[in-house]
Amino acid sequence: MTGSKILLVDDEIVFTKNISKLLKYRGFKVTAVNSGDAAIQELEKSSYDVIVLDLKMPGMDGITTLKEIQKLGLFSQTLILTGHGSVDSAMDAIKLGAYDYLVKPCEIDELVNKINGAWERKEDIISLG
Amino acid sequence: MNLENNSNEVNLEENRKKYYPRLFRKFIFLTVLCSLVPLLIVGWGINFHYTSLSKERVMTLLKTYVEHHRKIIELFLSEHSSKLQLIAHSHSIEYLRQVPNLNEIFEIINKDNWSVTDIGLIDDSGAHIAYVGPYDLMKKNYSKTLWFKEVMSKGLYISDMFTGFRNEPHFIIAVTRTENNKKWILRATINPEVFRSLVENVSIGKTGEVYLLNKDGIFQTTPRFHGKIMEKASFPIEPIHEGIRVRVIEKDSYNPSNSRQIVCETWLDTPKWLLVVKQSYKEAFYAVNHANYATLIFLHVSAITILIVAIFITKHMITVIQNRDKEADQLNKQLMQAGKLASIGELSAGVAHEINTPLAIILTERQLMIDCASIHPISDPDFLEQFNDSMNQIDVQIHRCKRITQNLLRFSRRTKSVLETIDINHFIREVIELMEREARTNGIKFFAELDNKILSVVSDPSQLQQVFLNIITNAIDAHDEKPYGSIRIKTEEDKIREGVIMLFTDTGSGIPQELIDKIFDPFFTTKPVGKGTGLGLSICYSTMKNLGGSISVSSELGKGTTITLFIPYKPPKELAKDMAASN
Repeated sequence: MTGSKILLVDDEIVFTKNISKLLKYRGFKVTAVNSGDAAIQELEKSSYDVIVLDLKMPGMDGITTLKEIQKLGLFSQTLILTGHGSVDSAMDAIKLGAYDYLVKPCEIDELVNKINGAWERKEDIISLG
Repeated sequence: MNLENNSNEVNLEENRKKYYPRLFRKFIFLTVLCSLVPLLIVGWGINFHYTSLSKERVMTLLKTYVEHHRKIIELFLSEHSSKLQLIAHSHSIEYLRQVPNLNEIFEIINKDNWSVTDIGLIDDSGAHIAYVGPYDLMKKNYSKTLWFKEVMSKGLYISDMFTGFRNEPHFIIAVTRTENNKKWILRATINPEVFRSLVENVSIGKTGEVYLLNKDGIFQTTPRFHGKIMEKASFPIEPIHEGIRVRVIEKDSYNPSNSRQIVCETWLDTPKWLLVVKQSYKEAFYAVNHANYATLIFLHVSAITILIVAIFITKHMITVIQNRDKEADQLNKQLMQAGKLASIGELSAGVAHEINTPLAIILTERQLMIDCASIHPISDPDFLEQFNDSMNQIDVQIHRCKRITQNLLRFSRRTKSVLETIDINHFIREVIELMEREARTNGIKFFAELDNKILSVVSDPSQLQQVFLNIITNAIDAHDEKPYGSIRIKTEEDKIREGVIMLFTDTGSGIPQELIDKIFDPFFTTKPVGKGTGLGLSICYSTMKNLGGSISVSSELGKGTTITLFIPYKPPKELAKDMAASN
């Protein structure tokens, strides 16, 4: 949804920079961080509608970061981005509570669709109380 | 490296070619050494021993026979000598000179057989006093004959054969008695026929002969072959000796029979006659030689049989070993293939992941360019056209890369399969339907020969579908150079391995023999650059392995290719266990 706050977590700086720009062009408010620790710190400071999280990162990996995010008890929905292409790791993430996953490289429109889906789910959860 | 491998394979092949004949020779040599040689040694040994014993026995029998015959002759002569001595000493000259009395005695002597031809009474002057016999000898005077002199000096005399006054070969036994200081002689002529029948008519086999010789080598009886009574023998005779002598004479001038002979000789005590028993060596040892030949023939036939059987068995064994070696080679190749795939699989996963990230960036860069162009429209139409073309081409190439990496990942991943009961015939029909449109546009028809007796298999449908699609896609692509063709899909049951065999036979261009071994290698493709990733059959190979089945290929260049799949009715235990754990 235009105006949604997106937290983009990926260790590839160029990738986060590009995706940030692309999402901003499409009306999203994007904050990009390059590690799991930075993502947790950012989430402790501000609230986000959707978190786009890469699974494979140095230091704290995507799955651990996701577990930490779950511990914060936020309404934010997490969308997994993986270069792995394997269903297994993404399925693990979904079991941990992630909204959905996307395989890199992916079209921007596809990403936008998934973000919108995640935002809607978040809205549903809030409205259901 | 490849050259080195090829030369190693050639060396291995050459070594194999030499190895089997060498193995064959070794087996045959060992068989001969361990069975034939002992058999022949024992056989020949027993044969030699048996032959020696048998020959010794034959010789002993011959000796016994000669001894027996000598005794019979001696007994005959001594019996007649004794009879004459008894008559001479029990009757006076006065009694005997009466012809009726002498005739009575003559008849008594010949009562049993006509062994005495005549009997005569002779005084010390050599004149006949009385005579009973067929000849007219009353007027004959014997004073100058050898026998007269001998009997007068010795008292008993058995003569050699002589013709005498009657001109017929005969011999006499004469005894003397002194009565009233006067010596007289009782002389009997032995019936030559009776004596000859006693000696000569005893023949041994077809070649045996018995005869008597005196000290001077004159025949005393007529031999069965070569020679006559009273003739001198053409060969030297044995000097007087005790006992029986046995010798073997080869065919030479002294052996008129012209064959090897056994000669048994013994000297009679009185008179000094040599009893000779001859028989052809061949006949004497006929039974022994016959048994000997039979044994040797049996022995050698056995040896040849063993040799032939050994050759056949060894050939069969070598064939079995060759087949086993081929199977082992096949297994080794499969093992190497599996190893190669495993290591390449790990590498592929890493490569795919590493490529995906830059691809994602390129894609975002492209999107940014497009976004920028939409915000700041490009006014130059040529530039705009080039820009759009380039953006499209980037998109196409990114998708191509993405397809490659996805294939790589699919090839390498260990998916958590879902096992389902699948009706293979139904399943393949669905796949054919899926592919029919694409095939039709290439002029290719599908033919299905599906065996209705096959049972359902428990396997992973998505993986199987992937395998079928890959094989059919390859089969369609193989017809690129042909305007039309067919793909024949056949299912049949494999009762032994308990599963289904699927044959995908196309009429495409086929695969050269030298490339057959490589078609399951990752990145190996015969398709034009850019069309194939070279991963399709590798994925099929690893998938079929994973599902407990197998894949193999046979092809004839220009005629087509057949891919054979084996799908087991039940998945391997490890896979089933993994499924259970993950579910």
